[in-house]
Amino acid sequence: MTFLNYVLSGISLGSIYAIIALGYTMVYGIAKMLNFAHGDVIMVGAYICFFAVTRYSLPPLVGVLAAMAVCTVLGILVERFAYKPLRTAPSLAVLITAIGVSYFLQNGAQLLWTPNPKVFSSVVGTGRLALFGGQLTVSYVTITTIVSCIVIMIALTWFTGNTKMGKAMRACSEDKGAAQLMGINVNSTISVTFAIGSALAAIAGVLLCSAYPTLVPTTGSMPGIKAFTAAVFGGIGSIPGAFLGGLLLGVIEIFAKAYISTQLSDAVVFAVLIVVLLVKPAGLLGKQVSEKV
Amino acid sequence: MMLTVENIDVFYGAIHAIKGISFQVDEGEIVALIGANGAGKSTTLKTVSGIMHPRNGKITFLGEDITRTDGYKLPAKGLAQVPEGRRIFLQMTVMENLEMGAYIHKKVPQSDFDNVFEHFPRLKERRSQIAGTLSGGEQQMLAMGRALMSHPKLLMLDEPSMGLAPILVEEIFKIIQEFHAAGTTILLVEQNAEMALQIADRAYVLESGAIALSGTGAELAASDEIKKAYLGG
Repeated sequence: MTFLNYVLSGISLGSIYAIIALGYTMVYGIAKMLNFAHGDVIMVGAYICFFAVTRYSLPPLVGVLAAMAVCTVLGILVERFAYKPLRTAPSLAVLITAIGVSYFLQNGAQLLWTPNPKVFSSVVGTGRLALFGGQLTVSYVTITTIVSCIVIMIALTWFTGNTKMGKAMRACSEDKGAAQLMGINVNSTISVTFAIGSALAAIAGVLLCSAYPTLVPTTGSMPGIKAFTAAVFGGIGSIPGAFLGGLLLGVIEIFAKAYISTQLSDAVVFAVLIVVLLVKPAGLLGKQVSEKV
Repeated sequence: MMLTVENIDVFYGAIHAIKGISFQVDEGEIVALIGANGAGKSTTLKTVSGIMHPRNGKITFLGEDITRTDGYKLPAKGLAQVPEGRRIFLQMTVMENLEMGAYIHKKVPQSDFDNVFEHFPRLKERRSQIAGTLSGGEQQMLAMGRALMSHPKLLMLDEPSMGLAPILVEEIFKIIQEFHAAGTTILLVEQNAEMALQIADRAYVLESGAIALSGTGAELAASDEIKKAYLGG
């Protein structure tokens, strides 16, 4: 049963990575930029939920919604003021700006909320569900995380495949010039993408801190990098790829912790990434469409 | 006049690509812009469709000044472009490409799709196929069908014959004439001067960013200068 427990914690951690990676991959797919500040949006989301629930005693669900609302606005503002002016700049300039935004958010959080750790109380309580006569117990947080990830994945797949806005996003991700000729407002499409990605980051932040309750201004950076890895692992730009990459990364990390070494687990994770990229440079589900020119 | 371009100057950085071009397209016409590679034909078209903006000059479409209008607002005014190199959405299906063509419309009646499939029966067979798997000719047809979905008043085509076998070029030109017969005004940019002059009511010859000659299609096709420079004889 310990093995099953590891699998479950792996999938749970992987679900959080997957939700973050979905935001990374969507923004990359459309704006063709790596938003390294994405991880810090997670942290902001967690703080908003923390204050809403702990200080203002709002119900947890309201806390989550508040976090999503604030992060959505934050994502739109960051895009509007930091990235949009660089739309035609070299990608290196955009990348450095994203790192700058990341530090800005971390230091802003330190100023506003101090570097002292906050103890986040889980939004779904600390209860556990006992299965197989108590041989296997699953926390509500784990269940909520896995279910949220699956729901988000299905919703996003439906959105990009069936709605007009979702299709316009795919059109923009392929060819912004042609999309504009169709009458699609590329700038507002990019804004919507940032909004969705940031709302997802807020959810990921709440779930992450529900599972690992220490909240500090740098809480988002390591999961952010891991999720970026997951997105590349699965094939950056691909929504199912981010989902698969996130899940696998979580499972590999937990297995490495359990069976190899706690200290070396991150090294194992990145070693796996390197091997995968050597064999499949576009990632597991990277797009390799045969394009006739 | 449907489209009036007055004295536009367009720059790529420091390069003066279009030097004071003026031309008009009247409702119901087929107008061709012909000229050699690099003469500024595509740049002119990109400027009309708002992908680029001129430094000086004025562009008027249906009485409205669109010189500085954002490109994405133009399809709703009745302007559509089939861009150079087709630029269809290769990872989307044929149907989705057509839906994107109708992006400016809230509701898309089935008859709009049927209309495209009538012009291009082959697209109907391949409606659920990913566009990247179509042949070059089919991709050009999809690009044209996609533009048709917005019900343009003025359809601009940039090098529709590029890279296609002669038999397909004939077909594409036949379809352009069908569009025209159905009431769409056409602005055509072509390197294939012979074909373009055959169907054009009027044409302008571009040379290094300026208009060197203009006249009716027949006049230009008969002109010695054109024959020598563009028609291989």
